[in-house]
Amino acid sequence: MRFYQTSFIMCLGLAGVLITGCSSTPKPNPQALPLAQAEPAPPQNPAITAKALNEESKSIAVTDIYFKKEGKNLSYIEETRRQSQSSSGPVISSVITPKVMEVDADKADASAITGGPNSSAFPVKFTNLADPKSTDPSTSASTPVVGSEAPESTSSSNHIQTMKKSGYEAKNEYGELRYLANPIRGLLIKSGYKVVQARPSVSTPTQGDEYFDIVRRIKAGDFGEANYVLYGVLAEVSLTDNIYDIPGTSSSTQQVALDVVVDFNVIDTNTSQIVASFIGSGVGNEVKIDGKDNGFKHSMAKLMKLASISLAEDVQKQLAGQNFITAHPGSGPVEGRNFKRRLEDDTSTLKVYGK
Amino acid sequence: MTMTLNHQKMNVLALLITSLSLAACSSGPQVRYGDSKAVETVNADYGSTDLQMIAEAMTRSLLQSKAISASKDAPIVTLAEVKNKTAEYIDTRVITDKIRTQLVKSGQVRFAVSVTEMPNQVEELKRQNQSGLYKNSTISKTGNMQGAQYRIEGSIASIVKNTKDVKDVFYVFNLNLINNESGLIEWADEKEIRKTATR
Repeated sequence: MRFYQTSFIMCLGLAGVLITGCSSTPKPNPQALPLAQAEPAPPQNPAITAKALNEESKSIAVTDIYFKKEGKNLSYIEETRRQSQSSSGPVISSVITPKVMEVDADKADASAITGGPNSSAFPVKFTNLADPKSTDPSTSASTPVVGSEAPESTSSSNHIQTMKKSGYEAKNEYGELRYLANPIRGLLIKSGYKVVQARPSVSTPTQGDEYFDIVRRIKAGDFGEANYVLYGVLAEVSLTDNIYDIPGTSSSTQQVALDVVVDFNVIDTNTSQIVASFIGSGVGNEVKIDGKDNGFKHSMAKLMKLASISLAEDVQKQLAGQNFITAHPGSGPVEGRNFKRRLEDDTSTLKVYGK
Repeated sequence: MTMTLNHQKMNVLALLITSLSLAACSSGPQVRYGDSKAVETVNADYGSTDLQMIAEAMTRSLLQSKAISASKDAPIVTLAEVKNKTAEYIDTRVITDKIRTQLVKSGQVRFAVSVTEMPNQVEELKRQNQSGLYKNSTISKTGNMQGAQYRIEGSIASIVKNTKDVKDVFYVFNLNLINNESGLIEWADEKEIRKTATR
């Protein structure tokens, strides 16, 4: 009985301790609080100032703008195979008439396959000749036409087989545009960087996408001792020619615009880390009032210059946004004409009318 | 004797008529300058006092609007159409031009050329850029015109009631400041005028 009483009291005590433990709030750990409250700051490049650049003597190489032009050779082959039976056995002679036409990849896809303008020249569906499936007899676009010149009942028979084969051959061209990057180099010099001349990159006839392997070029020493490489690949270039009416007038404007879009990366040559990445765009415009009436012809040189300057301005803005350069290096004074001119109200010019 | 007397009378009459005619010719209409801001109450039709009242009320209200007064830089505004919805002929352009003049003089607003001024603007740019006559560094180049941030547009309407002896005219002039990019009406105000003419 005493044992039961002791056990009961011990159980009560244990329960009391447990309840107290549960209800009590844990004491705050003064060292743990800041860790819990502090949110990790997003990783950001340390701002690079012109002064720091001069002190640290940072250098950068700017590649010319890479491009890849995709083209397709459309091929259309007509093969006429004649088989004649002679005393010495069957004689086969064939005449092959190939036709090759080089067009842009997108035009080939858009026109030839879907029945566009090229379809009249090549009235068949185009397939990739490099693709084994498309050249497979069962799936190819070949159109065999078999005819016979002589009746089958004759002893010497002639068989004519006409085969039409068609397809495209992908052809890529790689290179560098030499005239777009100089304004960018200029702005980097203004920012305080030492700009290093890069060795040009020459593509081979059998070049593939490894042409864009910038790390390989860095390791090959194409950029000397540069700390960074600004590397751009042309994403799109377009030339548009539009005519717009000017409302309220009988005039119109003819506007020719060259738009350039380039994908940029800045790479740290020591770590191969991308320290800035963005898409830059530039536009060069030439506008003529009533140009359509005067047979206006645009100047491509002028458009290229304006587009490259515009691209450099955008690159500068994007690099500053990612703390790679100081904002507006070497820019002129802010336009001071739009400051508000607040005058005291001249009461003599205002007349108050009572209702 | 009688004939001589008649002749004398006729001569006197002719002289009188001539002198009267000369006197009539020499006196023209009387011209005098008046106060351009004096209240005009010739009749109940739209008049110069209405124009001044509307322009001044609208200018004062517009300058106090948040869009103008809270703007750091002087915003660029252009004039759009003020529709005349009354039965009278009212040149609404005069009203907006007067408002524009007062706003420009305040220095708190800048104006871009409106549609009505565009032909001259285009001709000038064409002359400078495409005639080949001007020094390149001095040319005002095509493509650098500044777009207006806001446009001002509105309407004027009237309600007219007539009896035999009374003519009552109620004008309401409405003006809006519209943000061209967002399409938001940033400010709007109206001016009401009642005129009653009795015989």
